[in-house]
Amino acid sequence: MEDELSFSDIYGGRLALQRRYYSPSCREFCLSCPRLSLRSLTAVTCTVWLAAYGLFTLCENSMILSAAIFITLLGLLGYLHFVKIDQETLLIIDSLGIQMTSSYASGKESTTFIEMGKVKDVIINEAIYMQKVIYYLCILLNDPVEPHGISQVVPVFQSAKPRLDCLIEVYRSCQEILAHRKATPTSS
Amino acid sequence: MCAQPVTDTPETRWQKVLYERQPFPDNYVDQRFLEELRKNIHARKYQYWAVVFESSVVIQQLCSVCVFGVIWWYMDQGLLAPHWLFGTGLALSLIGYVLFDLLDGGEGRRKSGRTRWADLKSALVFITFTYGFSPVLKTLTESVSTDTIYAMSVFMLLGHLIFFDYGANAAIVSSALSLNMAIFASVCLASRLPRSLHAFIMVTFAIQMFALWPMLQKKLKACTPRSYVGVTLLFACSALGGLLSISVVGATLFALLLVSISCLCPFYLIRLQLLKENIHGPWDEAEIKEDLSRFLS
Amino acid sequence: MGLVSRGMAAAGLGTAPAVVRPGPPDAVPNPTPNPPPEGAAPGSSRVPSMVLKAFFPTCCASADSGLLVGRWVPEQSSAVVLAVVHFPFIPIQVKELLAQVQQASRIGLAVLGTWCHHRQEPEESLGHFLEGLGTIFSHEPWLQLCRERGSKFWSCKATHWQVPISPGAPGEDQVMLIFYDQRKVLLSQLHPPAALPDHQAGDATASAGGLAAVFDTVARSEALFRSDRFDEGLVRLSHWQSEGVEASILVELAKRASGPVCLLLAYLLSLISAASTCWVFKLWPLSFIWSKLSTCEQLRHRLEQLTFIFSTQKAENTSQLMRKANMLVSVLLDVALGFALLSWLHGKDRIGQLADALVPVADRVAEELQHLLQWLMGAPAGLKMNRALDQVLGRFFLYHIHLWISYIHLMSPFIERILWHMGLSACLGLTVALSILSDIIALLTFHIYCFYVYGARLYCLKICGLSSLWRLFRGKKWNVLRQRVDSCSYDLDQLFIGTLLFTVLVFLLPTTALYYLVFTLLRLLVVTVQGLIHLLVDLINSLPLYALGLRLCRPYRLSAGVKFQVLEHEAGRPLRLLMQINPLPYNRVVHTYRLPSCGCHPKHSWSSLCRKLFFGELIYPWRQRGDKQD
Repeated sequence: MEDELSFSDIYGGRLALQRRYYSPSCREFCLSCPRLSLRSLTAVTCTVWLAAYGLFTLCENSMILSAAIFITLLGLLGYLHFVKIDQETLLIIDSLGIQMTSSYASGKESTTFIEMGKVKDVIINEAIYMQKVIYYLCILLNDPVEPHGISQVVPVFQSAKPRLDCLIEVYRSCQEILAHRKATPTSS
Repeated sequence: MCAQPVTDTPETRWQKVLYERQPFPDNYVDQRFLEELRKNIHARKYQYWAVVFESSVVIQQLCSVCVFGVIWWYMDQGLLAPHWLFGTGLALSLIGYVLFDLLDGGEGRRKSGRTRWADLKSALVFITFTYGFSPVLKTLTESVSTDTIYAMSVFMLLGHLIFFDYGANAAIVSSALSLNMAIFASVCLASRLPRSLHAFIMVTFAIQMFALWPMLQKKLKACTPRSYVGVTLLFACSALGGLLSISVVGATLFALLLVSISCLCPFYLIRLQLLKENIHGPWDEAEIKEDLSRFLS
Repeated sequence: MGLVSRGMAAAGLGTAPAVVRPGPPDAVPNPTPNPPPEGAAPGSSRVPSMVLKAFFPTCCASADSGLLVGRWVPEQSSAVVLAVVHFPFIPIQVKELLAQVQQASRIGLAVLGTWCHHRQEPEESLGHFLEGLGTIFSHEPWLQLCRERGSKFWSCKATHWQVPISPGAPGEDQVMLIFYDQRKVLLSQLHPPAALPDHQAGDATASAGGLAAVFDTVARSEALFRSDRFDEGLVRLSHWQSEGVEASILVELAKRASGPVCLLLAYLLSLISAASTCWVFKLWPLSFIWSKLSTCEQLRHRLEQLTFIFSTQKAENTSQLMRKANMLVSVLLDVALGFALLSWLHGKDRIGQLADALVPVADRVAEELQHLLQWLMGAPAGLKMNRALDQVLGRFFLYHIHLWISYIHLMSPFIERILWHMGLSACLGLTVALSILSDIIALLTFHIYCFYVYGARLYCLKICGLSSLWRLFRGKKWNVLRQRVDSCSYDLDQLFIGTLLFTVLVFLLPTTALYYLVFTLLRLLVVTVQGLIHLLVDLINSLPLYALGLRLCRPYRLSAGVKFQVLEHEAGRPLRLLMQINPLPYNRVVHTYRLPSCGCHPKHSWSSLCRKLFFGELIYPWRQRGDKQD
């Protein structure tokens, strides 16, 4: 089963949340950010090139122009490959684990899989971000040494930064699956 | 807030304690509250001439600075031979040294346990170091502008006057800082003099003026107050005379300053003392009366 | 107890709508009814027991029908299928084979269930036959995997023989199929390494947590995969098989040859290191010089590395093996680069050109320094310095430059020979050549170093003196016992001398500070150049090139974990996941396998560096004995 909902991120931008329920024990949430808009790309490129041209008229050195072209190209590549995240996916599989995938605009994917044995809980937390308080979903990991301690907090949807209403949707579904785990202790 | 009604029975008297439950509202103020109010406990009655006498310390110090300035001006202009100044200074120092011991019959020397050998050593140190450093002092401020030097000296001498120990018990007083500032100013001024001998004699004179002379003054004031007044008057007159030979306007202003400090300020102090309204009471912060210094050592 | 498989009708195991397995008779009267097959409704309130996970190798997907052999991990309720045993077989032989493998690998292998692959029309008899096998190889739970022709979706069921102990729990589990690539899982190395039980002490029941157990199982049952497809063994198995047996002959030859070669090289290296520890080199001035020359440090470092590489004892674990390989590749690359440099230097008389250029450059530097000093002796940048001190310092430094120039000119006839011999050292590796270059720079800028030391000492003296005299000026002093400033009553003569000195120092400070500033800047320039060279050397020394190459060409070899991909799904069928190896990111590869660098360079934090510069403490490009690590 698959459905798509529309939410907004903390800046008011549009986010699309796709929910896929493969089975009662396996769910996937996919948050898609808007793609890189042609307008902003053009604006940045034009700004850099105009600035370079201004410098060129001052210095009369054509190195500046070629450097500007290279800088824009490299910057764009770097931005697409390392910065711009198009899609963030949270796959939660009962008794197996939670998998977070971020797909960059260049197609690069970075995946983190956390085994269910390490997951203590999934919670919504608040944080002070710049000048406002935002909510974020995070996974608490068990401390291997201390049974009730938390060794690490892994934030989810770090780049999309959805608002609370979207987080609550995801949170509820996650808790349903986590509740199964609690109902059946590990020793089968 | 206590809900109980105020019972004004003679048994329940209000107490100024917090550790007991009392049948009074929180904002209750008893009649006896202001009974302990006291006014002007520490205010003192001043006598006019006593205050004038005490103000002579300030006069002395002002005159010292003035005399130093005048002497430096004469040296700078080449009107005063350094040998003459050195001779005079030496003679006056010796007289002062003898007087210093004679005044209290050697009482102070026995108390401090300072030997004459130590005095001689100190004198030797002064002379040797000043003489050794005088060529350096001469070239020290060559590249610095004269105005800068003047400004620095004025600031330092002002600092000397501010931080000087006039006998008041205040935190700002620091005799070491005051003396150091005076020496700094004298070194700055000495470096402007034409030759290194001048510089040497100027610094020596500064030591006599700012370090040795106040010590003698203190002793004079303690032992023979009458002669101290005479010395002060004489010193003030000589300073005024010296200043008059340089600038009439300066001398007039300086005379006005001296008069206002010695006569007007005491007058105002006594007049304003009448308006004093200092209240004391149980609300004051606690004051530890006992002398704790024996525990601290 | 009769158990009806959920979705059995859709599984296509023949026409039989339901397969009833004979069980203990007492369980028959109350069969546990299962809920009807449901589409995965969101938020369903059904509480299943722990999902059974079947790890199935992708290479067996096309195998003929047979028995599933693998390991059952009860804590995770997961079944790791390792191989498929094909028909026909004799059950005793299968059991013997399993016992053999179990002995070799020390993990509990078992027949987990049956595998049924319908190529032709489904035969009903096979289904029943497979049912019957369950009685021979009893396992709890019994897996039944089935693949149909022309269908992407498999059916799978797991049945329990015994009555479940808790009455509420259903007798049949939900099954999740997870495909994995046997070869990749076998070869990959988990990061960080999970706390696996020792091979000696670990028995079959000892298990590492979670997925590490799967990796461990596959890695340890390597004995099972040893037989290749051309072997006609008693039992036909289907599993991953390595290819390229022919190439391994060369590998085998190399392995045989490496032993004696290593022995010989280790002997040679031990001779060299014995020579280097000779007492002649430990005399005082020599040992001091050795510790300051970066060439010696680099040579020592390389010697240690080579000794480690060619040590005759075997690498104990994979990390040590990786370290050896990284070191070997780094040394080889270093030497290759060094030879390239050597051939470039010795072709077309470049050494001679360099030598001819060197003396004029040194002369030029000295001349520039002279100009700088003359500028400083005037009124530099309009600053008013103390003229007498300025002249004294300037003449002192000028005399040094004069000495330096004469020294260079004395050296100039020999420079070409020296450079030629230095160039030969490049065959020891680029890093050695770079270290020598760094040392040459240090030697050629010795005058700058001297100026810097004089300036810094003078400045440091002034700063310390001024700071304590400033306290005296205020009538305070530093209390060493309490580590604070206390007030103090000084004598008259102390105050006088202190203030006199204070005045003198204050007026002389700008002159000294300017000289110090200029020479410190020069020194920092030299140190920066040397630092860049050292950085390059450290980069070559410590970059784990082998690990990086492995990551580039065989990403699955170094894994940070796994990732799952949900395959196409149909309601009522078991969920199918594809388990892939998540390769380690490059930065973590570098971080994990970074070789220890020379470690002879100090690590200042910026604040401590600025502090040292301000207070005129000396800055060295090598590590001081009393240096604290920041």
